[in-house]
Amino acid sequence: MSSRFRARPLSVVPPPPSPTAVRSARRPLWDGLTLERIVWVTMIALVAAGSMVWFFRNDFLDLLVSTLCVAYTTMLLFTLAGNLAIVQRGAIPREAAQILAVIAGSALGTVVTAIVKGRSLQELLNERLAGFVATSGIGIGFGCVAVAVYFYRERDARLRADIARMAAEFDASRAREEKQMLSARLQLLQAQVEPHFLFNTLANVQHLTTTDAPRASEMLGSLIRYLRAALPQMREQASTLSREVEMVRAYLEIQRVRMGERLQFVIDLPPDLTGRPMPPMMLISLVENAIKHGIDPQPAGGTIRVSAQTTTHGVRVTVADTGRGLSELEGMGIGLANIRERLATLFGPAARLDLHENNPRGVVATIEWPDAAA
Amino acid sequence: MTTALIADDEPLLRAQLRARLAALWPEIDDIEEASNGLEAIAVFEAEAGRALPDVCFLDIHMPGLTGLEVAQRLRARARQGDVRPPQLVFVTAYDAYAIEAFEQGAIDYLLKPFETERLAETIERLRERLAQPIADERSPDETDVLAQLADRLARIGPQGRQPLQWIKASIGSTVRLIPVDDVLYFHADDKYTRVITTDGEALIRKPIKELVAELDGTRFWQIHRATIVNTRAIAGVVRGLKDSADLKLKNRPETLIVSRAYLHLFRQM
Repeated sequence: MSSRFRARPLSVVPPPPSPTAVRSARRPLWDGLTLERIVWVTMIALVAAGSMVWFFRNDFLDLLVSTLCVAYTTMLLFTLAGNLAIVQRGAIPREAAQILAVIAGSALGTVVTAIVKGRSLQELLNERLAGFVATSGIGIGFGCVAVAVYFYRERDARLRADIARMAAEFDASRAREEKQMLSARLQLLQAQVEPHFLFNTLANVQHLTTTDAPRASEMLGSLIRYLRAALPQMREQASTLSREVEMVRAYLEIQRVRMGERLQFVIDLPPDLTGRPMPPMMLISLVENAIKHGIDPQPAGGTIRVSAQTTTHGVRVTVADTGRGLSELEGMGIGLANIRERLATLFGPAARLDLHENNPRGVVATIEWPDAAA
Repeated sequence: MTTALIADDEPLLRAQLRARLAALWPEIDDIEEASNGLEAIAVFEAEAGRALPDVCFLDIHMPGLTGLEVAQRLRARARQGDVRPPQLVFVTAYDAYAIEAFEQGAIDYLLKPFETERLAETIERLRERLAQPIADERSPDETDVLAQLADRLARIGPQGRQPLQWIKASIGSTVRLIPVDDVLYFHADDKYTRVITTDGEALIRKPIKELVAELDGTRFWQIHRATIVNTRAIAGVVRGLKDSADLKLKNRPETLIVSRAYLHLFRQM
């Protein structure tokens, strides 16, 4: 629940964060001044110096000092402009502030160049004004191209991030669906043949082989029919009502031999329903529950009645027992919870599992699901 | 003369063990049978002066009383009457937990279907022990071993205590089991607790206090002395009067009150 819920409780949530908290959340002025940015700017300065060697008469190193001065000054101003309080507040668009910074940076960079090269500002302004304009202009030109590339890359990265996020969200929703399907399959597989049941049955057969061979053979036949339907690899195929009922019949016949007079059962499957599709292992699960939690704990035993009817939208199967009655205990819940989840995965709200008290005692469990033929 | 008790809820398996014993241990001349735990006790409690059997073969899983409970009762009886306690052999088809516990407690057990050799070994051991004088009987703390065993099985057995999954509730004249997933909230109402679900309402007798203890605490939150809400049904929370909050539900018009003591649940997580 939490993710949806977490966003909600704002109103009960404590006072707004204190001003200090806000300030600390701001970007520092040098934010974005990464090694990557410095390397890029240095490379641009190198290229600029290299491309101007033919144009000016200066040598390469002298030019490089100029371009580096301009480039680094511009870079610093560009970075500062992106992190100004006024920009962070959203009063000025960041891109505008940064373009202004490039222009100002080129001019200031030219001044810095002069200082670095030991020329007086006076000289710079009077005698070399043409050179100043040229250097600044070239700085602005290179700066603007570099910034344009930078903005483009930034937007590209944002778009990519958006696409990646959307893709991740899509994957997550698909993963959720797949997880549901998988867990439904897993539950189907987990509905095991209980070793306790198997060994007890074999013990009975073992005894019958020496005392009553025909009954031993009958019981083995029932066990084989039950196992054919119950072993995991047999389960995933779509099943039919008659297949599920035959599995239940085999199981109940075995249990009747084991429990003797303590167990009676009646199976009532109308002939026109036999071919109807039914999710596997649900009916047997109800019957196993009825024996395990209803009839078996009672020293006197009881009766199980399995029946099927058509409804207006589909089919309903009912397992009614005269056992110990409804219990909230978890042991009874696991198999039933599995049925509920699988019904929900397969049919949504159109299917249901209902449990109520039988009269005068025991439990009535019904499963209803929609069926195209109904 | 040696006497035995076979307690198993499956008639054919009682007959099988009886036949095997007759073949392998002819000295046994009296075998009592019981088809459940209560009957096993009743055999010896009905007659006042009835001697306890020398050997008991007890199925672990039986209606009424389990094999372990029967064993404890018979031992207690032996102590009261100051007579030799019966030798115990537990019988099970498959029970990983129990077998582990038996191995650790050095208690005899047999697996169904029976293997003749294993049964013969067990019988040999029982004969030796029965031949010893009572004084040399294994130490009296065997009773404790049983108690420990019962305790351990209750704890590690498959039915350890888990959160409530179903609510037994009356709707009109019928009693139904409602899956807790379908419950939106519980609300105390005089003598009863109202259970409000996606498709209706029901009444139960279990008070809020007990429900809180039994439900899964990550899915159900108590938000008021009288209310427990299913967290999945919560749509949102808004500040209410004074130190409370109003909780809105999905698909339900009413709002629930979150009282001060439970407000912390909705503070930032």
